[in-house]
Order: sequence, then structure tokens, then C-alpha cells
Amino acid sequence: MTSADILSLLPLLVVATTGVVVMLAAAFYRNHRLSLILTLAGLLTAFISLPFVSPLTPRQVTSLVLVDGYALFYMGLIFAAGFIVALLTYGYLEQWDGNPEELYVLLLLATLGAAVLVGSSHFASFFLGLETLSVALYAMIAYNRSLRRGIEAGIKYLVLAGVTAAFLLFGMALVYAETGTLAFSGVIAVAGGGPSLQLMVGLGMLIVGVGFKLGVVPFHMWTPDVYQGAPAPVTGLLASMSKGAMFALLLRYFTPVMALERQGLVWVFTAVAVLSMLGGNILALTQDNVKRILAYSSIAHLGYLLVAFLASGPAGQLAVAFYLVAYFATTLSAFGVVTVLSTPDDEAESLRAYQGLYYRRPWLAIIFTIALLSLAGIPPTAGLVGKIFIAAAGVQASLWLLLIVLVLASVIGVFYYMRIVITMFRRPEADVVQPSMVRLPRAASVVLGALSVILVGLGIYPVPVMRIIERTVARLV
Amino acid sequence: MAEVPTQYGIILAAILFSLGVAGILLRRNIFFVLLFVEVMLNAAGLAFVVAGARWGQADGQVMFIFVLATAAAEVAIGLGLLLRLHHQFKTLNVDEASDLRG
Amino acid sequence: MIVVFYIASGVAILSTFLVILQSNAVHALLYAILSLLSVAIVFFSLGAPLVAALEVIVYAGAIMVLFVFVVMVLNLGPGAEGQERVWLQPRTWTGPVILTLVLIGELIYIFLARPGLALRGPAIGPQEVSLALYGPYLLGVELASILLLAGLVGAYHLGREPSD
Repeated sequence: MTSADILSLLPLLVVATTGVVVMLAAAFYRNHRLSLILTLAGLLTAFISLPFVSPLTPRQVTSLVLVDGYALFYMGLIFAAGFIVALLTYGYLEQWDGNPEELYVLLLLATLGAAVLVGSSHFASFFLGLETLSVALYAMIAYNRSLRRGIEAGIKYLVLAGVTAAFLLFGMALVYAETGTLAFSGVIAVAGGGPSLQLMVGLGMLIVGVGFKLGVVPFHMWTPDVYQGAPAPVTGLLASMSKGAMFALLLRYFTPVMALERQGLVWVFTAVAVLSMLGGNILALTQDNVKRILAYSSIAHLGYLLVAFLASGPAGQLAVAFYLVAYFATTLSAFGVVTVLSTPDDEAESLRAYQGLYYRRPWLAIIFTIALLSLAGIPPTAGLVGKIFIAAAGVQASLWLLLIVLVLASVIGVFYYMRIVITMFRRPEADVVQPSMVRLPRAASVVLGALSVILVGLGIYPVPVMRIIERTVARLV
Repeated sequence: MAEVPTQYGIILAAILFSLGVAGILLRRNIFFVLLFVEVMLNAAGLAFVVAGARWGQADGQVMFIFVLATAAAEVAIGLGLLLRLHHQFKTLNVDEASDLRG
Repeated sequence: MIVVFYIASGVAILSTFLVILQSNAVHALLYAILSLLSVAIVFFSLGAPLVAALEVIVYAGAIMVLFVFVVMVLNLGPGAEGQERVWLQPRTWTGPVILTLVLIGELIYIFLARPGLALRGPAIGPQEVSLALYGPYLLGVELASILLLAGLVGAYHLGREPSD
């Protein structure tokens, strides 16, 4: 490895170093604020280093990691998500008497895992990045050890992720047995000559593994439980970073494969997309628990993203990238609101807790409303622009069935998003127990406000982000 | 060493993998579920070694070593969670230890 | 050597199968360890002595021992046995067993449908693996160490007694 190789890995190195530094700092001097500042500084540095690394790209560092514009763009998104979650976590854990410092270490390691995942070009880095992200998440989900539902959510997620990892590994092994190489490019070279049954089974198992991680139907079983039981900021991380990183990898690995294999894989993904879009939205209609509603909603959104994935080509790439930006901002904003209203031992989950929120905390209600509007795809938010991009890509690729389902599902979605909004604006009934007024941390307020501004801003004027996407993500088939 | 057909190796891995899946579906005790996750990971690792031997490359064994590291990390946290679960719920049964609506 | 492979495979399959049926946690662990040891022999017959050794040392020797510790701490021996027997009613296991048999049948069909490929070349020993680890897979080694760090911090945090 040359020095240029190491330099191009700079963002990853920074995050890894920060993780170790935060751990050592906590070992010598336990201080919540110090951990937060170190974490934020590290993530900020990593983010800033991205444009500096850019001139060195595209660069294949050993056969494991490919640092190119695509990877750098998604790394930026991941670092931003980590930054936001760290800030939200600070306020959340402030009054708690457990040890908060470890969460920041785990957060940084999870961020690293996700960043490796989007830059990987080889099964080894795919697997290791994924597992680093997962292992960190197990501990983060169950972080409040004395909370029964946290432990339960942690165990469920661990079993699920463990089985997923095994499926992924077996699939990788089958593909390896067939192609003789673990690099992503290998499968394309061989599959060109007509795919064998063994290769197909291997790819199938890979899809199963990826499907579990994305939480799409029919692999969505425990997702709502895990979302409900995990601490709100961690759920935000799960919904955004974990799914987003995996989706970026899906796009990178499977797009060339799909181009070669055509029908079989296309049908599988189409079915998954349709089921997720409809299933996610329909199941959310019956829920009373805000976290579970958001969980089902994220299942549906991954379905929308799959439509863009199936569209492929530059239009599809643009749609995915833009929609992910919007999705990250929206998800973090929504879970941010939930976080701010919660404490580790008492989460603001049930819909009733949000009744009349507008009259107690007008700005929070407005922020949440904007996030929900974006999720529903109502102007003038980024969510709508994202959906338009997806629709445009879909039209270009003539994916008529998917487009019909997309529109249908979005309409269904409006119902339960609006239900939350209406609940917030309705005057509270006399017998509804009002949750105590939690002191609103300044940092969290600023972050949430900024996210709302971004959501509306992107909805009105998406051009700058589009330019960035075109410059970095433009590649692949 | 005499030649061992690759396909038989893969079949062995597949059988062990399936047994792991069956075990998870059959047992309701988290302890056994974790054990079978390990069985599945081991089977997948076996598949890698077989594949690596087929191509005469060290890569299969390298992946196995990484799988080993992953299994170790996962077991550490898994068993830690198991102990916490037992402490909180007083049972290791998946169906009983369920506050969250399934 | 191929006979070794067949015998070891048979033992591995049989003992893994028996793990499913055991109601006593300690017995299940013993069969699991037996399965891992036979897989180690399979590795050896495939010409992978390093991972054969690692399988015994790490998988059977460390990971399974963690399970044994848990059995000790939670006293999962005789008491749990009665409970487990109740859960292992025929109507509980018939469905999954049938499914598994179908799965296995399918997979065997798939893989036998290909022309059997034999091993290539000599055994791949520790030296070759090490060169791979410190050459092309260097990043993987570093990542694996970070993965273990995450496991360490997580397990540490979860293992502490809650203050309340």
C-alpha cells in the first residue's frame, strides 16, 4: 500500500482513531460532555477531509475498498447522520445515571462500519463493515440495560442479524466457489457466460441477507419491535445509517449483476418493492405507537427506493442519491423529535403523548409536521422532490406497475402521517395525561431546526444537491 | 492427499446450515437459538474453506478467520444480553420474554 | 483421505442433528463441540490445516466455552430439562423437520446437478494464509480488530450491573 492509498482512506482512519480516542478518554476521565465534543470533532474532521480526498479518487485500495466519488458522497451522508445522532443523544442521556460515554464509542464504530460498507468492492470488506455496524448496534439498542424492552429488542436484533450474516456468508461462499474471486467485479466476469444454478442460489442468499438488513417485506418481521424497544436516537440511526449504507452497497454491487441476468432477479426485486410499499403503508395504518408507525413507514420508503434501483441508469442513480439525502434528513428529524420528548426510561412512544403538542411546544410540532409532510411526499418538501425523481426514473425505464403501486402506496401513507399531524394540533382532552415538560437541549433544537430548513429548502431548490450528486455519484451502468 | 470432491463439501456445509436453521425454528430457548446461530456461521465458514480449496487460494481460509472473529464478537454480546434477559425476565423463553407487541 | 472426509462429515451431521434434540443444555453443548471437532477434521482433509487448528482452538475452545460459562452461571442443567421436554412435542417439530428435509433434498439436487469438481493442488498451509492476511487482506485484519473492539465495548457495557 502506497502513501496515496493510505491518504485516500483518511476519512475512515479519522473515524477509527476518534473511536479509540473517545474510549481512552473515557477510561481516564469520565465526562459526558468531553465524549460528545471528541465525537463531534472527529466526525466533523472526517467530513471535512472528504473533499481533500476527492482528487485522489477513484482509487482501489487493495482489492477490498474502492474509494471513488460514489463512496465519498455516501460517506459524507453517513458522517452527517452520525454527527446529528451524537448531538441528539447528548440531550437524551444527560439526565440518565448510567454510563453514557460508551454509546459514543459504539456510535463512532458503527459509523466506521457503515462507511466501510459503502466503499467496499470485495466480500471481505462488505462483511466486516456490515458486522462492525451490526455489533455496535446490538449494544446500542440494549444500551439501557435496566429496560426490559431494550434488552428484548437487542436480543431480537442480534438473532436476526446473526441469521442474516450467516445467509449472506453462505451466499458469498457459493458465489466464490463459482467465480474464484471474492471481489465484486468477479461475479460480473463469470456471470457473462450464462449463470449456473449454484451462482443463482448464491445470489439468492445474498438477496435474502440484504433484504433482512434493509428491512423490506418479507424480511421485515422484527423491525417494528426493534424500533420500538431501542432508544429513540439509536432507532434514528438504525433507520437512516444502517439501511442507507446497505442500500448504497446494494446499488453498487447489484446494478451490474442485474444488467447481465435480467428477468429472474428483476422479478424478485419488483415483488419485494411492491410488497414493501403496500405492506409498509397498510400495516402502519393500524398502529398507535409513533415509533412503530415510523418503522413501518421506513419499510415503505425502502420500497420506493427499490423502484429507483430497478430503474437504474443515471436517472435511477440520481433518484436514489437524492431520495436518500431526503430520507436521512426526514428520518433523523422525526426521530429527533421523539428523542427530545423522551428520556431513557420513558420514551414518548404512544400517539396520545403527542396530543396537543402544538399548544405545549409549537416549534417541535411544526418541525415534526414538516418531517411528516416530507415522508408523505407533500410539497414543498424534499420528500416530494425525491418521489418526483423516482417517478421520472421509473417512467424512463417504463416501470409502469411499480409506478402505479408507488402512487397508490403514497396515497395510503398520507392517511397515517396526517393522523399524527392532526393529533398534534388537536386540543388535548382533559383526561389525557400530559408528559412532563422535558427541558429542551439547545443543541438538539438547533439541529432539528436546521434539518427542517434543509427539508423545505431542498423541496423548493434542489439544484445544488443535484449538482453535487451528479459530480460524485455519476458512474456505473 | 486424495482429491475430495468440492460438491460434497458444499453439500456438507448446506446440510449443517439447514440444520442450524431448523434448530432456530424449533427451539424456543434463547440459549439454544444463539447456539444454532453459531452452527450456521460455522457452516458458512466451512463453505468458504471448501470454495477456497477448490480454487487453490488462501482467500477461503482468510474469510473463515474473519467469520471466526465475527462469531466471537457476536457471541460475547449475545451471551451478555442473554444474562441480562434472564435477570430481567427470569426466563429464557422467546415467547414469554416478549413485552413488545409481535 | 477421502474416507476421512466422509466419516468426519457423517459425524458432523449426526452430532449437529442431535444438538437439536437435546433437552439438557450441557448435553447439547457436548454434541455441538463434537460437531465442531469433526468439521475441523473435514478442514484437514480439504488441505486447510491452519483453519482446522483455529476451529478447534477458537470455535470449540473459546466460543463454546463461553456457552459453558453461561450454563454454569444460569444453572441451565437439570431444572431446564423438564421444561424443554414439554416444548419438544411432536406437533411442534413435525413441520420444521419436513421443511428441513425438503431443503436438504433441494440443495443436494442442486449441487449434484453440477459436474463434481475436485480439489486443486496441494494443501494451503499457514504460511500462504498469513501472507494473504498481511498482504491483500491487511485492511480486513484491521477491520476485524475494530469489530472485536466494538464487541468488547458492547459486552463490557452490557455486563455491568445496572446502578439501580
